Amino acid sequence: MKRILQHPTAPTTGRTYWRSLGEYARTPDFEEWLHREFPKGAAEWENDPLSRRTFLRLMGASLALAGLSLSGCRRPEAHLVPFTQSPEWVVSGKKMSFATAQPRRRGSIPLLATTFDGRPVKMEGNPLHPISQGATDNHAQASILDLYDPARRRFLTHANKKATAEDLTAEVARIRAEASSSSGASLAILAEETLSPSRERLRNELLRQFPQATWAVYDPLTSGRDLAASSLAFGPNTDFRPQLAVASTILSLDCDFLGSDEGDIPDTRGFASGRRTRKPDDKMNRLYVAEPRFSLTGTMADHRLRLRASATGAFLLELARQIRSLRSTPDLNTLLQQAPDLSLPKGIDPAWIRECAADLVAHGQNSLILVGRRQPVAIQALGLALNSALGAIGTTLLVQPQLSAPSTNLASLADKVRSGTIRTLVLLGGDPVYNAPADLDWASLQSSVPNTIHLSPFFNATSARANWFIPGTHYLESWGDTLAADGSYLSIQPTIQPLWAGQSQLEFLTSLTAQSKPIGPSIIRDTFAARTNLTGEKLEQAWQDFVREGFVSSITITSPRSANASAIATLLSSIEVAPADDIHSLEAVFTHSGALDDGRYANNGWMQEWPDPMTKLTWDNAILISKETANSLGLKNELSKGTLIADVVQATLAGRSLEAPILIAPGHVNFAVSLPVGYGQENLGPVAKGSGFDAYHLRTSATDYLAQGLQLKPTGRTRELAITQEHQVMEGRDLVREASLAEYQAKPDWVKKVGMDGHIPPNQSFYKNPKLTGDHQWAMVIDLATCTGCNACVTACTAENNIPIVGKDQVIKGREMHWIRVDRYYTGEPDEPESVSQPVACMQCENAPCETVCPVNATVHNDEGLNVMAYNRCIGTRYCANNCPYKVRRFNFFDYNQRSLDKLYLGPLAPKGTEETIKLQKNPNVTVRMRGVMEKCTFCVQRIEEAKIGARVRARDSADLGIPSGTLQTACQQACPADAIVFGDLKNEKDEVGKLRSLPQNYSLLDYLNVGPRLTYLGRVRNPNPAMPGAKMHYIPSHGHTNSHEQENGHPVEPSGQSGAKAGHQ
Amino acid sequence: MANIFPRYTNWLPIKILVCLTVVVASVVSGMAYYFTPKYTRVGYQPTQPVAFDHSLHVNQLGMDCRYCHTGVEKSSHSNVPSTQTCMNCHTQIKSLSPKLAAVRESWKTGNPVPWVRIHKAPDYVYFNHAVHVNRGVSCVACHGKVNHMEVVYHAKPHSMGWCLECHRAPENYLRPVDQVTNLDWIPPATTTQRELGEKFVKEWNVKPPVSCSGCHR
Repeated sequence: MKRILQHPTAPTTGRTYWRSLGEYARTPDFEEWLHREFPKGAAEWENDPLSRRTFLRLMGASLALAGLSLSGCRRPEAHLVPFTQSPEWVVSGKKMSFATAQPRRRGSIPLLATTFDGRPVKMEGNPLHPISQGATDNHAQASILDLYDPARRRFLTHANKKATAEDLTAEVARIRAEASSSSGASLAILAEETLSPSRERLRNELLRQFPQATWAVYDPLTSGRDLAASSLAFGPNTDFRPQLAVASTILSLDCDFLGSDEGDIPDTRGFASGRRTRKPDDKMNRLYVAEPRFSLTGTMADHRLRLRASATGAFLLELARQIRSLRSTPDLNTLLQQAPDLSLPKGIDPAWIRECAADLVAHGQNSLILVGRRQPVAIQALGLALNSALGAIGTTLLVQPQLSAPSTNLASLADKVRSGTIRTLVLLGGDPVYNAPADLDWASLQSSVPNTIHLSPFFNATSARANWFIPGTHYLESWGDTLAADGSYLSIQPTIQPLWAGQSQLEFLTSLTAQSKPIGPSIIRDTFAARTNLTGEKLEQAWQDFVREGFVSSITITSPRSANASAIATLLSSIEVAPADDIHSLEAVFTHSGALDDGRYANNGWMQEWPDPMTKLTWDNAILISKETANSLGLKNELSKGTLIADVVQATLAGRSLEAPILIAPGHVNFAVSLPVGYGQENLGPVAKGSGFDAYHLRTSATDYLAQGLQLKPTGRTRELAITQEHQVMEGRDLVREASLAEYQAKPDWVKKVGMDGHIPPNQSFYKNPKLTGDHQWAMVIDLATCTGCNACVTACTAENNIPIVGKDQVIKGREMHWIRVDRYYTGEPDEPESVSQPVACMQCENAPCETVCPVNATVHNDEGLNVMAYNRCIGTRYCANNCPYKVRRFNFFDYNQRSLDKLYLGPLAPKGTEETIKLQKNPNVTVRMRGVMEKCTFCVQRIEEAKIGARVRARDSADLGIPSGTLQTACQQACPADAIVFGDLKNEKDEVGKLRSLPQNYSLLDYLNVGPRLTYLGRVRNPNPAMPGAKMHYIPSHGHTNSHEQENGHPVEPSGQSGAKAGHQ
Repeated sequence: MANIFPRYTNWLPIKILVCLTVVVASVVSGMAYYFTPKYTRVGYQPTQPVAFDHSLHVNQLGMDCRYCHTGVEKSSHSNVPSTQTCMNCHTQIKSLSPKLAAVRESWKTGNPVPWVRIHKAPDYVYFNHAVHVNRGVSCVACHGKVNHMEVVYHAKPHSMGWCLECHRAPENYLRPVDQVTNLDWIPPATTTQRELGEKFVKEWNVKPPVSCSGCHR
């Protein structure tokens, strides 16, 4: 008898979860996605006059011919090429890790670079450093691909012709001569932010030699307003840093601290540590969010309010008054004396603010108010003052010295250029021609300087308008130093010789200051000596430690306990009321792009194909807009054959306009749109070409974050967008399970009562699975309560497992290859939804449905509970993927590793091969899969085997083969900043995973299928405040579902009527 | 009487015969090639750029395998020695021998000696030397008596079935860990390989992987 599976229908009461508006509306197109693995046509032979049958006939004939000639039977002669001189420490085939750091604009990320035979292949967080503790984020993971990007310019150019190093030396001498004649007034440097103390040292040296020289720093996504607010509140040269681990009530106003904005790693960890519940009596923090666009922070919110970015000031003033009414302090009175009385925007319930204020006051010094770092100074300063009034300074908000020294800003540099004094402009990295405010017209300003030099790893728009282009080094190729967000000093050491004849910013500055040519790390060592005040033997020892461990801890600093209320009070009158809602004059927010940051990762295939955590958009950006606003403008998104067809609009702002597709984003505030920057770089490289639009085009100095008066006009055209949100969709059968804290406390095993889990029929499988007798039994648990959905696991997995990118065209067909995906579910109304993220990788089912259908035993179970793939055996029938209830298997429809994205469809005789540099990045311990092979997550079996081999090598002739607990991590687990992914051995009592699996809130997806997943989930717990208006206190479906089979007392039943029809598709 | 068989069936026996002959011939020739040592390269003995004699260095001079193959106990990969390793001795001994011209040339120019590869596991096989030599599997089990080879050749088939012979019955091959690089070792007269092997399997908790993931990732 065929096994009959009773699929529960969607719960009739309780909450429904949806991944897209298509699912919400149950459009026919969505139903098709649900029932098929790929959209119609995507898994078939297509777009070719050659029919499938003719093709097979031809292939058969050519194979027979090839067989006749017996060519290719002998393996070619190969060579083993050893070193001539053995380098110290290198053991061929063994990995080595080097401490380094990725420079960032607001606190760099301490990292370990894993190298094999002298080539870095993977980045991990530095486990010793408190900022990282082993975790990374997307950009740290993806940065390694930039190193090997074939599009990097490999040579020096002058006036668009190749130049030699001697030419550059002569040029530097000429610049020095020119500058010394004007004591430097003719020289200007425009640098990107890297927080390098050595660069600061060389800058001071340069300014000592040429006192009149200009040193400007420009970064498109830092406003400096946060530092201004801090200086106002806490005194000059201060900055602040949240401590989320000790915060029990958090209010975030237009601040995406969990998103891929700066500081995400420590903030995510801190937030998650206050969110983790293992026992019902565990304490849990509470998060209030008021924001314009649904951000990752918004998905974690217990209470979320849609608020226009321009209304943040009014909101905060009202909050201040509410706090004062609860706890009146002299500072608050001073603060609010002259404050304007702004009316709240329409639709904002004052009770929301009142109850939020009450909660903040109740938690006093453990409360935290975060305001977006690009909001106006007055609003941010008010936020700091309120933190001070709550007593949070020193507990949840630390004040520390600013990391970067003050510099000239881009606007002042532009004035100097306009006045004609600048003869030579040196640009250290960055791309101001692309990302400078549009009103500066930086492109023509830069062209008006007689001599410009651009040092950059990529030949970008700025390089194209510079006289000289110097190929810059990647951070993995050069010595350097930088600072982490907590002020600790990080070392950057090269893990590979520069691939191309590049030089670092520090090397170039050394030659510009006419110091002796640096040998190796001497520049950094000098800075290190100056910072530590050590000499001789002690310096040597400290230096070795610094390079080996990658950092020197910051010195603890005494921070002030309160903000300067009177200074802030004078500013508050500048807070403006939000403009009235007007469909013809929208509010525009220029957001950073989670994938491309400010555009620097535009030629990075991993980041282009990285689904945005909220929109699930790949290879494009789009104007994010709420459903209601889109409806009133007559704009729409349509799903057709799996493709999202988005209306293209003409967006006009202050006389500048561009054309862009719109994307309806659930949870977006009305009468406002978000414009992610970073896309539309046509000439950066083949990957960046054709992706998205350039939102910088609308952005001016005054409106670098927020602008009013945007008009959207339909053009009648549409654009196809590659959105992965409906791919690999599973029928809504209580896949994510949520409870409020009160419900969890009342019923800790609530997850077991949801869906069909309470009455699963006994397993009737006829297939006898082999016994799982291995010494280890691997399992994974993902905690939905702490997972923020940041997608760092996706990038880490891509890097670890040699996962190819497939391109926009293929993503549209549902062929993306990510082994772990993050399903983002919405629940509620499209404009006021809540959201929850759920990472889904291969479940390693104990009764795996995929294994029984493989005709060649390419996917089998091993004795340690892993569902393993022998890629060399796979013949590509795709039966396994068809039979997988979780849709986690990925098929190589093309030779993604052998063909560039534009040549995928060429015939078998077309030239193959990939760039040599891209091959260097591949993990040597994982097979690079070819066309026609199925692949999937194997819990990083290469790491498991490495750990087991390590244990055996240590054991030698003894019997102790144990793997110490915590030494083996999968790539996704290692990257996760929230520690939401826990992997381990069920047979090792010290491993956390066994304890988590036995928690009452542990459940498995589609449990009623009896497949016995080894990957399980901890149900999500939310902590809503019952006093809040509209608080949802009941997350568990009140009555489960009411299916007919419920009365059958758990016995398997024959299909009848509707349930029988449902049984066909899983 | 009407024809039961249509006309084309006249040729059918001949067609079937021809087809059968072709199929049988290809099966036989296929097996003759793929199922014999020729396919597994047993006996492959290429000419090396330097006429290095293992029997001289190991048997006569008594050098240990690990003097040159330094990574074998630590890494998945057993490295071929660098030119520097050769020159440790050959700056003093036979420093002018014409046989060593290629080594001296490499030392002078920095270009490595291009040794011809004999043993090659396919790309999808992740063989690890360290785990074998540290757990009592001798070099000789896979590479044959290299210490008696003047010119190294491929001695064993290195097919998957051959790997599994040992993985399924390691007691037939295990030896004391300190005898791994002694290629001429035989079990003491008081015991047999099987007895000794079974003791090691028990005492060392030897469980070689026999599932795909042991070698294929």
